[in-house]
Amino acid sequence: MSSISGFERIRQTTGSDDGALLTGAIGVVLLGAAFVAFLMNSTLTIVPVVGFIVVTAYGWYAHQAETARALTLLATTSTVLILVLITVFLILEALPAFQLMGLAIFAVEKPVELFGVTVIPGQDPLWSTSQDLYSLTPMVWGTLITTALAMLIAGPLGIAGALFISEIAPPTIREIVKPGIEIMAGVPSIVYGFVGYVIINSYMMDNFALPTFGSLFVVGIVIGLMSLPTVVSVAEDAISSVPPSIKDGSLAMGATDWQTMKSITIPSAFSGVSAAVLLGVGRAAGETMAATVILGHTQALPEPLYDVFGNTETLTSLIASQYGNATGTHMSALFAAGVVLFVSVMFLSVGSQLIEARMKRQLGGNQ
Amino acid sequence: MSDGYGSKLVEGQTSALERVTTGVVGLSIVSCLLGMTSILRWTTESTEFLGVSLFDFFAIGLLAMGLTLVVIGVASRTGMVETQPDRNVGAFTAVAIGAISAVVVGLVVSQTLGLGTLVSVLAALVAGAATTLAMLLVREDIGSTVPIGVLTAVVGVLVVTGVLGPEWSWDPEAFTATFNGTIVIPALTVFCGLLSAWAAAKANEGFGTRGRQNGAYLLIGLNAFGMLAILAGLIVFIASKGIGPVLEGVQLGAGFDWPFVTNGYTLSPNEPNGVFPAIVGTFWVVLGAVLLAVPLGIGAAVFLTEYAEQGRFTAVVEVATNGLWSTPSVVFGLFGYAFLVPRLGNNTSLLAGMLVLGFMLLPLVVITSREALISVPDEYRDASAALGVSQWETIRSVVVPAALPGVATGVILGVGRIAGETAPILLVMTGGLRDNAPNILGSFEFTSSPPFVANDALLQSAPALPYQLYATITAGVSGDESFGWATALVLLLVVLSFYAVGIASRFYFRRKLHQ
Amino acid sequence: MSEPVTSADTENSTQTTQSTQSTERSTVSGETDERIQQSWLDYDFEGEPKLASKELDVHYGSDHALKGISMEIPKESVTALIGPSGCGKSTFLRCLNRMNDRIKAANVDGSVTLDGEEIYQDGVNLVELRKRVGMVFQAPNPFPKSIRDNIAYGPRKHGDIDTGLLARLSGRKDQKKEDEIVERSLKQAALWDEVKNRLDDNALGLSGGQQQRLCIARCLATDPEVILMDEPASALDPIATSKIEDLIADLAENYTVVVVTHNMQQAARISDQTAVFLTGGELVEYGDTDKIFESPESQRVEDYITGKFG
Repeated sequence: MSSISGFERIRQTTGSDDGALLTGAIGVVLLGAAFVAFLMNSTLTIVPVVGFIVVTAYGWYAHQAETARALTLLATTSTVLILVLITVFLILEALPAFQLMGLAIFAVEKPVELFGVTVIPGQDPLWSTSQDLYSLTPMVWGTLITTALAMLIAGPLGIAGALFISEIAPPTIREIVKPGIEIMAGVPSIVYGFVGYVIINSYMMDNFALPTFGSLFVVGIVIGLMSLPTVVSVAEDAISSVPPSIKDGSLAMGATDWQTMKSITIPSAFSGVSAAVLLGVGRAAGETMAATVILGHTQALPEPLYDVFGNTETLTSLIASQYGNATGTHMSALFAAGVVLFVSVMFLSVGSQLIEARMKRQLGGNQ
Repeated sequence: MSDGYGSKLVEGQTSALERVTTGVVGLSIVSCLLGMTSILRWTTESTEFLGVSLFDFFAIGLLAMGLTLVVIGVASRTGMVETQPDRNVGAFTAVAIGAISAVVVGLVVSQTLGLGTLVSVLAALVAGAATTLAMLLVREDIGSTVPIGVLTAVVGVLVVTGVLGPEWSWDPEAFTATFNGTIVIPALTVFCGLLSAWAAAKANEGFGTRGRQNGAYLLIGLNAFGMLAILAGLIVFIASKGIGPVLEGVQLGAGFDWPFVTNGYTLSPNEPNGVFPAIVGTFWVVLGAVLLAVPLGIGAAVFLTEYAEQGRFTAVVEVATNGLWSTPSVVFGLFGYAFLVPRLGNNTSLLAGMLVLGFMLLPLVVITSREALISVPDEYRDASAALGVSQWETIRSVVVPAALPGVATGVILGVGRIAGETAPILLVMTGGLRDNAPNILGSFEFTSSPPFVANDALLQSAPALPYQLYATITAGVSGDESFGWATALVLLLVVLSFYAVGIASRFYFRRKLHQ
Repeated sequence: MSEPVTSADTENSTQTTQSTQSTERSTVSGETDERIQQSWLDYDFEGEPKLASKELDVHYGSDHALKGISMEIPKESVTALIGPSGCGKSTFLRCLNRMNDRIKAANVDGSVTLDGEEIYQDGVNLVELRKRVGMVFQAPNPFPKSIRDNIAYGPRKHGDIDTGLLARLSGRKDQKKEDEIVERSLKQAALWDEVKNRLDDNALGLSGGQQQRLCIARCLATDPEVILMDEPASALDPIATSKIEDLIADLAENYTVVVVTHNMQQAARISDQTAVFLTGGELVEYGDTDKIFESPESQRVEDYITGKFG
């Protein structure tokens, strides 16, 4: 669709000749053929791919401007295509599990009834590969708990860090802190996980007499540290995009810097800062390796539910720890966990983008 | 105003109040730092500090800080020292103090007195509300010092009298964990120390708006310091654990040998194990991802900024790019497992790893390249167009070169990110501890049947540093913990050197721009 | 990266290329090779000066933006600072309430006194200073809040009125006082009739001229003694400009107004005395507005006023 309209536009705007258009058409057909062949897992995929390369090379030689434009359009389309493919394949693979379990994919131990109608089915055990029972409830709960713990750390500390970098720190200190936070974002999650696994888990068992190896508490703290840099950098962007003129206005009235931050800067950047927190939530919920390595992997709800020192599973750690020996519906259930995760994170992402767009509109009226 | 708050243009020099409060802030910070060392068990209750045992030092320090705060509050209220307090503490302080009192009362009622949940919750709520409201009746100088001072002093007294000692322990029914005095006492010290430092910082500037700024700045500054300390601590810790095994058997000079970096995982007792295959694997997988993502990403960014008109299509692309950027890595892994693995020889492979990491890198390249392209001033484009140069020529010879530093920095930082990714590799590439490195260049061969070109090494699983670390963990820590630390160190060095280069190049280009 | 450089003056001050000597009286500058004479700067008026600067030098890094400015500003009058871009007039204005402190690279030497009290000394309470010396900026910069919140911002921040959560809980909300302040300030700024029915609307919905009068009202709400205005009408259309000019004339009855402008007609219309800054950060002539515009003593000032340069 979009590629055709793109070519139409090329024709209109550049008045290119039919040769360029024909080259483009052949290129698109070949690429489409290659894609279909790859989808069908054909060994002949190579033929249209080579054809496409040849056509592109010819186009570059004969009609460079048009070819370049078409290729950039192609690259743009591929971004969207990848997201579409991810969505489609995830859902396709998860379908058997959803069909098998129905609503019971979110089953709890005892059915919840409302006016005599079962709203949430009950099931015991919640997760059993031998009995083909796959309720994702413990994992959803585990993800919720760890994400909440993580955000208790990353939210306030992240916003404070962003304020420090953009508003408080003298330039020399900012030049140290800012790259430091970026580097913190770069520490691979498996390294955090390894430290958590070897050091913190034993520490918790020694000093808090935990009966099991690993706990939601440790995962929450580690993930919180890991999503901290995301919150700091996005919130800092938002805070420094507040026009300096309104901050000056506040200071010139005798408000202190801190009053200006509290009453002017943060409220003006509120959308951006909340977008930062939402992104942080997304990062925390999707964090895999630290949770996988630190947790003790029991697919049951903690007892009592809020026992953060207990063990359960998160959506991510379920996938990473069980994919190896999973087949059939079991594998499909793992994909279902992926779908739940993917959909939630997409909601967070789109939500934060809407909020950010709102902020731009709001502040735009002032400039 | 009418209440006679100080409103002089010029104020006096350093006063006794400032000296005392500075002392309290200093003592609080020292207590906090020592408390942290105790929580981490670097120090214990038997550690000597300034001639007394550490926990006694905590107790005496808390008592001193608490009493001093109370005295400061009273002195300010009675006009013995000159301050400019507001009528009340701010809402945040009032609610925070209320919450602390609710927690304290709730815990005492339920745990010490042993009353039921309902009673305790009610008591906690009443106490919290009462404390918050009480903040209304007192001036800011009393409200922001006395409650915190009393709490701190009470904790100090409990520790001094031994009611709360290292042997104290609390095993709440609701949690699996047991809380011991050895951790609780330093934790309380850190908590009360932070509160006292905050209150003293406010008093230091004579309360009022500037006092609150001082208090807030202190906490925010400590927070930033804490973040850097965690980062530095983590790096130093891993380095100290890993440097030994990494350097084991290194020979300099003519017979240069660095077994950990040049060996594979041999499993033979005579030969030190190494991560050479994993380093090679990481190199190839990152190279493949970059070759896929960078042209696509820059192309997309060029289209979006230079060709496309802002409309529905660009909006969709933007949402998709940001969505891809926040998609969890394990979801990319699942996608690769479902989409790529069956189509690339039906087993985990290096090629699949390259593609999946490339997909992960793509949104980052698009976002950073777009930012770089947008920041190229329109004057450049106009100037070029005014000379009669076509749009494509302008993009190729003016816009993209001007944006290149920004793009390069973004790509380098992005590469640092994917080089440490484990989750997607787990599902599509695997390749655990092994001896031989993938030989990509030597494995190309032509075949008579389609696809005519084959490369076994590309279509086989390959090791990579992050996955190797994971494999060390799943193999059991008892097996080879030091190998794990060494791998972690090498991985950290690889990733952080990308970050260092990225950040340094950004710094360099910004410098150059400003000159 | 948020250095609040709002005026062109600071950016253009690099144009100063001629060598400078330490005492400004003997500084040689411009094409005319003219020495600034003490008599051009002496301005006699009755009573104590409200504001006075003495040997005030400002450097931005290596740029010498202001050179030894000494002038005394009488109270309850309008003083205009005029001059071409880059002459340092906005920099001088920003020294009077120490807004230059916000610019890290700015280095201020010399003295400024408010009612005889030095404002560049240790222990000066910036909050108190800026309460007494208010400022209105070049471009209207209302906060993205309601009109009421904009006006009440200063008094709330200074604890004069308390509408916080606790105050509301205890029934001590100073609503009446706030209403009075809002009404008085908006009336003083001649904006009351236009906005009295929509005090709770967002201030960003007002027109540019209304926004600027709102900023003036916001400044008046803190009861300042001096009001600094940095080209307050340069971003406005002629009708809005004339409203602001009328307002400035009214304000001079109760306040000391210092206004920077590059519009000479405007300075002639609204001000009681005028100070002319010329390129290089020098104060060349200062005196009664009528005298400056009709019979300036300096040849350079005459050239500037008659439009021969600048």
